[in-house]
Amino acid sequence: MNIKRYIIGALAVAFGFVGATAQVDRSLAVIKAMLHGFEYEVYAGTNIGGASPLPLPAEIREINSYSPELNLQIGATVTKWMDVQKKWGLSLGVRLETKGMETKAAVKNYGMAIIQDGATVSGRWTGMVQTRYHSQQLVFPLTAVFKAHKRLKVHAGPYVAFAFSNDFDGYVYDGYLREGDPTGPKISFEGDSRANYDFGDNLRHFQWGMQGGVTWTAYKHLLVNANLAWGCNDIFESSFKTVTFNLYPIYLNVGFGYLF
Amino acid sequence: MKIFRLMQVMTVFFSTVWLSSCIENEPLNAECDIVSASLPEELLVRPAEIVDRKDVHSVTFIVKNFVDVTALAPEFEITPGATIAPASGTVRDFSDPQEYTVTSEDGEWSKTYTVIAKHDDPIALKYSFENARVVPANSQGGMCDEFVEFSPTDPNVPNMVWASGNQGFGLTNGKKGPETYPTFQADNGVVGRCAGLVTRSTGTFGAMVGMPLAAGNLFIGKFDMTNAVNKPLEATQFGTSFYYVPIGLRGYYRYAPGEKFMKLVDRKLVEVPGRIDECDIYAVFYERTADMEYLDGNNVLSDDNPNIIAVARLDEDQRKGAADWTHFDVEFKYRPDKSLDPEKLENGVYALAVVMTSSIEGAKFSGAIGSALFVDELEVVCL
Repeated sequence: MNIKRYIIGALAVAFGFVGATAQVDRSLAVIKAMLHGFEYEVYAGTNIGGASPLPLPAEIREINSYSPELNLQIGATVTKWMDVQKKWGLSLGVRLETKGMETKAAVKNYGMAIIQDGATVSGRWTGMVQTRYHSQQLVFPLTAVFKAHKRLKVHAGPYVAFAFSNDFDGYVYDGYLREGDPTGPKISFEGDSRANYDFGDNLRHFQWGMQGGVTWTAYKHLLVNANLAWGCNDIFESSFKTVTFNLYPIYLNVGFGYLF
Repeated sequence: MKIFRLMQVMTVFFSTVWLSSCIENEPLNAECDIVSASLPEELLVRPAEIVDRKDVHSVTFIVKNFVDVTALAPEFEITPGATIAPASGTVRDFSDPQEYTVTSEDGEWSKTYTVIAKHDDPIALKYSFENARVVPANSQGGMCDEFVEFSPTDPNVPNMVWASGNQGFGLTNGKKGPETYPTFQADNGVVGRCAGLVTRSTGTFGAMVGMPLAAGNLFIGKFDMTNAVNKPLEATQFGTSFYYVPIGLRGYYRYAPGEKFMKLVDRKLVEVPGRIDECDIYAVFYERTADMEYLDGNNVLSDDNPNIIAVARLDEDQRKGAADWTHFDVEFKYRPDKSLDPEKLENGVYALAVVMTSSIEGAKFSGAIGSALFVDELEVVCL
């Protein structure tokens, strides 16, 4: 309720300089009416998911291990209810979150070309690939909200995200490379032999996608959230050809929120 | 935190189950190699040699002098799932090289191997490094030099190719040409052209695999690409059958070590101040046995290697440097209690390895970048 007052106050200051006292009174009334039907929420949660190709290419034979890393998020949402019964609304949010994952996968005949300083090493890798993806982002979702039940809200909509810290690295090990194509020379990597890679510089800074989820009101002010955020663009820049397929960030956010 | 963790664990469980069900059926094999080739043991002087490179796929059988090459039935082991035509075990006339085509299981890739069966032709003993051919070093258009020696009995027939680490270096070198490689043919030899061996940096790719430099090297034997990253000391296979008794190694060399000696520590190069790089030129006369067909970086100079009969090598002062062309003449020092069996000598059981490198510890990726060794008019002197 304090926030409402502050916002009203700030808006009043902004608008209040226009016109006389009587107009100020009327402006305040207008503003009060505008602000009626807003809900504010802050929340914290965790992200589980990863950057995945869709569909999984046949070259990926097995996901041997997956670790989501501790991906935390905190955020705030403003919801404006459009109707008196508060059944339909529009939400605008902001959240600061980490999207991360670490995987070990077994691949077969997996095409790759690593381009560095103008020179290229390309070929087919059969063996193990360890990948770590870590991105810290500021995300702005804009969602439509439907109150299905007294305690249950369903929401869906697009989001845009700005990744201000981006890592994508790992190494290949326990396998072999066929240089050029599958008929090329075979170079083995066994035991401790491995080749490291780091493609962090080729990650996009701007992502967008769709998200959809539910919010359950546990108590008057306590919310439980679950949300699936599905990236619609490749995490890599389009000029980056080394990873031949697109990787989409698909994350499930779960957490708790506080409703003002 | 705990409840977040619990949620994470549950979601990981369900998503892993879901993801596993998304894994598609195993694709058919795309590879089509001859993995091994054999003829009955009593017919062979030494095991078959398979060369698998971008431009050359060949299998060479060296058969004993009494063997008739017009009717031989070699057997081949190929990549699982692949097919070979004509079939393994087919009787063919090897008076001329015969072709076999291996096709991959998925039908999209094939390789044609040229299979040769011939009697052994002793290698030449004098090397002027005048004959080099330019060959592909990678699939990016990179090219490198390869030195060829001809048969003493027929100067039109190439019967030995000097090996080097160039094909391994090729992985890191993109489109660049022969003069950028660790081993190349150089001008300004003592007579005509000569062999140039320079220690190079392997750039970003070499650093990726923990092998930040490559010494120039040239040796009699074979470079096994498969182990280039895995077991680099075993990738250099030294030696070939030798039918004479060697007593000396002589020739001309000049060497200038690079500025900074670097040592490999934890996959990176660290400078060792005050240490100066050395080159190495040596020849080893040894006996081939079933468990030691070749010598390699692990055992070629080992004091306790029972197969080694004699070694000829530059001494320490000679290895440190020579500003101008300098003649060297080192004798083979025979190890005590080693006697030669004339029958083994005649059957090619004994072998010779000649090895040259611009950085004495190049096999351990330590040395000075820029160390440059040039060798010309090399000769193995025999009884």
